[in-house]
Amino acid sequence: MPLRWLTPLLIIAVVASCLAIIRSTHATRAYYADLQRIEGTHWYLQEDYSRLMLERSTLASPHRIAKMARDELVMRTPDLAAYRTLVEGVY
Amino acid sequence: MAKNGVAAAPGMPWRLVTVVGLLLILAASVVGRLVLIQVVDQERGAAFLREQGAMRAVRSAEIPAYRGMVTDRRGEPLAISTPVITLWADPQRLRESGRLGVLANALGQSELELQQRLELYSDKRFMYLARHQTPDLARRVLGLKIVGVGGKREYRRFYPAGEVASQIIGLTNVDGKGIAGLEKAYEDVLHGRVGQKRYIKDLHGDAIRDVGVVREARPGQSIALSIDLRLQYLQHRELQRAMVETGAEAGAAVTVDAWTGEILAMTNHPVFNPNSRSAFDYAATRNRVVTDAFEPGSTMKPLTLVAALETGAFTLDSIIDTSPGRIRVGRKVLPDPLNYGAISVSRVIEKSSQVGVTKMAQAIGHEPVLSVYRRFGLGEPSSIGFPGERSGSLPNRERWSEIEKVTLAFGYGLTATPLQLAQAYAVFANQGRRVPLTLLKREPGARLPGEPVISEEIAKQVLTVLHRVTGSEGTASKARVPGFSVGGKTGTVHKVGPSGYLPDQYLALFVGVAPMDNPRYVTAVVVDQPKGDNYGGGAAAAPVYSRITDGVLRLRNQRPEVEGDMPAQLASSEVGR
Repeated sequence: MPLRWLTPLLIIAVVASCLAIIRSTHATRAYYADLQRIEGTHWYLQEDYSRLMLERSTLASPHRIAKMARDELVMRTPDLAAYRTLVEGVY
Repeated sequence: MAKNGVAAAPGMPWRLVTVVGLLLILAASVVGRLVLIQVVDQERGAAFLREQGAMRAVRSAEIPAYRGMVTDRRGEPLAISTPVITLWADPQRLRESGRLGVLANALGQSELELQQRLELYSDKRFMYLARHQTPDLARRVLGLKIVGVGGKREYRRFYPAGEVASQIIGLTNVDGKGIAGLEKAYEDVLHGRVGQKRYIKDLHGDAIRDVGVVREARPGQSIALSIDLRLQYLQHRELQRAMVETGAEAGAAVTVDAWTGEILAMTNHPVFNPNSRSAFDYAATRNRVVTDAFEPGSTMKPLTLVAALETGAFTLDSIIDTSPGRIRVGRKVLPDPLNYGAISVSRVIEKSSQVGVTKMAQAIGHEPVLSVYRRFGLGEPSSIGFPGERSGSLPNRERWSEIEKVTLAFGYGLTATPLQLAQAYAVFANQGRRVPLTLLKREPGARLPGEPVISEEIAKQVLTVLHRVTGSEGTASKARVPGFSVGGKTGTVHKVGPSGYLPDQYLALFVGVAPMDNPRYVTAVVVDQPKGDNYGGGAAAAPVYSRITDGVLRLRNQRPEVEGDMPAQLASSEVGR
């Protein structure tokens, strides 16, 4: 290749790489902004999730269930005469 | 014009040339210096400038890592982290803001108190206003945009099961580090890795924007325990009830699945509430099931029976004469409650006869007994790796006196924890094989091979004797469970004080196996210092065992041996189609 083409070629390459740097820097910023937004959402969702888990385990606590079964539904443990075990595939 | 220009050039005043020249030199030197510092990078100039810039503007901050959840075997949460916001202030800037009243009001604190704390920290640049606030409240406070007030994301640990599983789970300190129980034991797994990010701050230290993440935060892993919360709750309830009924000071209970080595429930009294740090008693965090070793007493007699059967000198039907109901060993006289006369080996265990066991021990010596104890895991820590776990101890003597040889056979001179008792009896329930215990969930359905420590035949024989203990002639008829046959052994041991055995202070023990037709579940119960006349293992501990086991068998879908007939309409072929 003739030497005189080299200089303009290099200049074009330098300009192109400059533009690429600008582009990638901008993309980095944009992605980082996205990341922060998503992290924020993650935080809120985690907040919700753990609160819901806590709520569920409060509502489903064996203590509460036993109390409701006994007091509200008037349930009791069957005596042996009333005890039936259902075995899968038998009945 | 041209003429003038041409004429002007040579006539350019020398003074102007000098000034322009000097200015050019100045400019060149500035540019040259810049090039030297920034491009040629002599004396690390560029790095120096960058560092200085960063020192003034860039800060790094921690990204909190989500602590893993602890769940029971069915996925019910036992410990869960929830995001909270900690409010802090820069005291110097907050004082200048002049909005203390508004802030105190929003925080629900008194303005005077806040003022005093502000004075206390007046020479600092950081103080906590309120730690671990709910996000709603914290956002309201931050929304006021008071100068010098900031928020920091943190996690707070909640324990949905509260006191029911408190000693197993343990707790974390305010900074989220496990300080007791499994929170401590599995700190490395649960904790995850704290991340780090860099941000640019302004003159006042407020963050303007994040620059980048230096290290990603990695959330901790969740762990699933072998505990079944329903069983844990049931065991807790029954133990608390026993404390009230017997007036005992403390107690412990543990249920083990002998086939898999999984600990299904483990409870203690006294308890503490892990969700409230204000009324916190460190002693109550003790998991007695693994931390308290005591002399196991008569609960060791089935193990002595194993030793006797293994020597071949005894069978279950060998007759031992226990008349006249007491026996002298060295300077001590060991009595039975009454003279049982000539009875079989099986009956000796059933009645827990001191005389009978003494004669067996004298016939076989202490070595076989010690060997059985070792094989059953006594004197060594279990495999659960619980913080503060005790391994108990086996005697290690050069010379054995007559009385020491004999007392070893009925469970004195060695110490064991409730967990070790359950582990030992699990061998009987698992065809003579010992499976390492665990607090973590194992793959369902797997019956571990285990290490055979006694023959299947002997394990079976011991089970029949344990079953007879709960029969009408035995010491533990109160351990019976409606609908199922169970087996077990009582123990009533003197508590040890600073100067020997304490009179009138007992531990009531019961360790049992159920159900007899397909032995699998082992439960050990300890009632510490029951009051009144019913202080024995058969009276104080066996009923607790019965109620716990009733629940265990029901929740583990065991079918009662006897039950009512299937109602006609259910038994008809219509159902299930």
